[in-house]
Amino acid sequence: MTAIVWERRRAAAWATWREFASHRGGLVGLLGLGAIALLALLAPLLTDQTGLDVTRAPGRPFEPPSGEFWLGTDNTGRSVLLLTWWGTRVSLVVGLSATVLSVLIGTLVGVAAAHFGGWTSALLMRFTDFFLVLPSLVLAIALSTVLPRGLGTIVLAIGATSWPATARLVRAQTLAVEARPFIERAKALGGGHAHVIGKHVLPAVLPLVFVNTTLTVAGAIIAESTLSFLGLGDPTQISWGSMLHAANVHGAVSQRAWWFLVPPGLGVVLVVLAFTMCGRALETVLNPRLKGER
Amino acid sequence: MGVRRRIGAVGAVVGLVVLPCAAPAQAQSPITLRVAITQQVDSLNPFLSITQAGTEVGRLMYDYLTAYSQADQRPVEGVADEWESSDDKLTWTFHVPDGKKWSDGKPVTAKDVAFTYNLMMRDPVAATANGSFTAEFDSVTATDDRTVVIRTKAPQATMLALDIPIVPEHVWSAVQNIGEYQNEAVPVVGSGPFVLTEYRANEFIRLTANKDYWRGAPKYDELVFTYYKTVDAAAQALSRGEVDLVNRMGPAQFDSLKGKEGITLNKANGRRFNEIVINPGAATKTGEPIGDGHPALKDVVVRRAIAQAIDLDEIIEKVNGGYAQRGTGLIPPVFPDFHLDKPNPERVYDPAAANKALDDTGYRRNAEGTRVSPEGRELELRLIGHASRAYDEQTGEFVKRFLADIGIVVDVQIVSDNQLNESTTAGTFDLAFSGWGTNPDPESILSLHTCAQRPNADGKGGTTDTFFCDAEYDALYAQQKAEFDLAKRSEIVKRMQQRFYDQVPSVVLGYDNALEAYRSDKFAGFPLQPEKGGVIMAQNGVWGYYGATPTDNAGRSSSGGSTALVIGGGAGALVVLVGGAWLVSRRRGASAGERE
Repeated sequence: MTAIVWERRRAAAWATWREFASHRGGLVGLLGLGAIALLALLAPLLTDQTGLDVTRAPGRPFEPPSGEFWLGTDNTGRSVLLLTWWGTRVSLVVGLSATVLSVLIGTLVGVAAAHFGGWTSALLMRFTDFFLVLPSLVLAIALSTVLPRGLGTIVLAIGATSWPATARLVRAQTLAVEARPFIERAKALGGGHAHVIGKHVLPAVLPLVFVNTTLTVAGAIIAESTLSFLGLGDPTQISWGSMLHAANVHGAVSQRAWWFLVPPGLGVVLVVLAFTMCGRALETVLNPRLKGER
Repeated sequence: MGVRRRIGAVGAVVGLVVLPCAAPAQAQSPITLRVAITQQVDSLNPFLSITQAGTEVGRLMYDYLTAYSQADQRPVEGVADEWESSDDKLTWTFHVPDGKKWSDGKPVTAKDVAFTYNLMMRDPVAATANGSFTAEFDSVTATDDRTVVIRTKAPQATMLALDIPIVPEHVWSAVQNIGEYQNEAVPVVGSGPFVLTEYRANEFIRLTANKDYWRGAPKYDELVFTYYKTVDAAAQALSRGEVDLVNRMGPAQFDSLKGKEGITLNKANGRRFNEIVINPGAATKTGEPIGDGHPALKDVVVRRAIAQAIDLDEIIEKVNGGYAQRGTGLIPPVFPDFHLDKPNPERVYDPAAANKALDDTGYRRNAEGTRVSPEGRELELRLIGHASRAYDEQTGEFVKRFLADIGIVVDVQIVSDNQLNESTTAGTFDLAFSGWGTNPDPESILSLHTCAQRPNADGKGGTTDTFFCDAEYDALYAQQKAEFDLAKRSEIVKRMQQRFYDQVPSVVLGYDNALEAYRSDKFAGFPLQPEKGGVIMAQNGVWGYYGATPTDNAGRSSSGGSTALVIGGGAGALVVLVGGAWLVSRRRGASAGERE
């Protein structure tokens, strides 16, 4: 019995993968993402971390790209290539953790609202609507100003402001799933809330949540860069946003130091593009509405 | 000029590409000096304005009772041309000469002076900006149109440095509510070398030369201040010839203008210093300890070791880009009368000696190499800095490394200005970045470190910088306050700074240079104050603007046109738009195809 189930699951997964692989964009995105993640993980092994210490900067300020510094140096004389490389880590970590937080809140609220209905739903949805209409950037700025400075604050600020869309989406999908006869049957056979949600609703909703997660990461990374650029991040941590912030306040524009501004910007674009391409491909595979009739 | 103004108020720099606000339309062809400013004017009402930009506009519009000379900042004629004081220094008599006129033609009299000061003594709102000057006044009376007599409760050394714009009684006596009055009804009646004729908040301020000014008319017709959101944008505007004068530049902007044709740079001695405050045991006025500063910092040996382990030269070289002078006392070298040039004994950067001093006093290193106080507490210190200041962020990293060399662990925390101010007033810090602008008269900056400036039990009622409380310093402070002989006072003030330097409640890191630049193809020169190493803008006076000499080119309108910045911004926007459109179209196409 179990063996048959596993067999079926493996077949389904393989079919999903084959379908995903047929989207060239998705595949390219996945490869790019893998490469970037690998580079980020290997940064401590492949590079010398002391180059990040402003007090031991190897170059002169604002050196243009050369054989020694491929992407030039920043205002303190550190290699921009090294900074961008290490910045990947913080940007990815913050983007992913903020997304996990946001998706977690969104899924909880969405499923609960759809499943319990009535007052609970009305209350939760008004709560969601409240957050939906608040300008999330302003709210995030307010949060990161009030709370102590640090990566945790940024994650919290992004996570706490970006969940309402997920909640709406999950609620809609849960409603659709719960309208199906097999849910009614499970209830008739005596399945409680935990059973229905855990065994039937969540598995049906998860693919959508997964797709949503991939797409939210892109937004979270941009949000992190925005907040750091505005000087609200943790300045002792190097991220792409904080590099852009530094370039701006230390006069990279006046020095025409394009090499200080372009790499972190390109980094953001590439990662966001990769996530979006993956997410879109995944969406067409997993979202039944986008799937063609067979 | 600004008394006790924390530097935190540096405008937040937001936005990468900022277009300058629309410049006001040019009139026929008046000769105009166009100045870029990045700081906002808080109010045009001289009783309320406290920002540098606001007080500067106030100085252009209104004369003060006395002025500071251009060459060496000694008191010279302002509204009054002669003055004398009684032997007990409690009664001061000022003579207001005949012939000075308000810009509407009415004569400037002693009654205007008495009106202004009395208004500030009577109405607390009018004392908002400059109330400290009149706080000790007993009475101000105009005995006739030419004579004003001021009686003070105690001798006051700032009697010839009263930074209060004198306003016309015939205009201001009609003002009901000083706090609400904007003073924007142009042309604003004033007595200074320029008259305010047009003002648009956060866009520009236009002043017209007062041709009847008693010192003589300015050599050009109009002075226009234009707002720029960032110093980068202002520096770009100067290099393109859209403005003629820029200040408050950072090393990067300053260096980028080097060697450009038609631009002259002015690296001036600044009036502000940067410091790291070392919490020497915060306490209230009554000596009640507050806050949670590290107890080891109460030990002067530790404070001295910290100061000795910080390499000031490296910070100036790397963080200030070389544009600063080494720090010693509280008063920068721009005021040579009071600057502590050579401390004796002088501290030099010597981590080995600092290590030895700590070893000898019983601060042993533990297994990780961190020092532990004799009471058994590890020397782990918080260093808080302003998020609004790039300087703090960078210097913090250096300090962290320097102190690691002597076994002290530093945790650099960059927080918002509000959070920093809360921590420093409550004493909940170990080390903190701070910095102050100073005046020709050292009184206010010295007073910050007296016992009396410590807060009361609620944390209010004092503006202490360091919670420093030292009997010797306080005695000298009282002594200099009553000393009217410059040489003797200068001697006492230097001894105070030496005491401060020895006790190290803070390490003065350096005095920033003021970095300015102007179009020398349009303006031949600007009077500097002081003459040697002085500034053009943000003077103790307006000599720089008033004495500017235009060249023959100055009347011509600049070669404007679209600028690199606009092109850059436009190109950036275009890339975003095209990229976005491409993504959208691609997405649409894809879905359509996939949906069949």
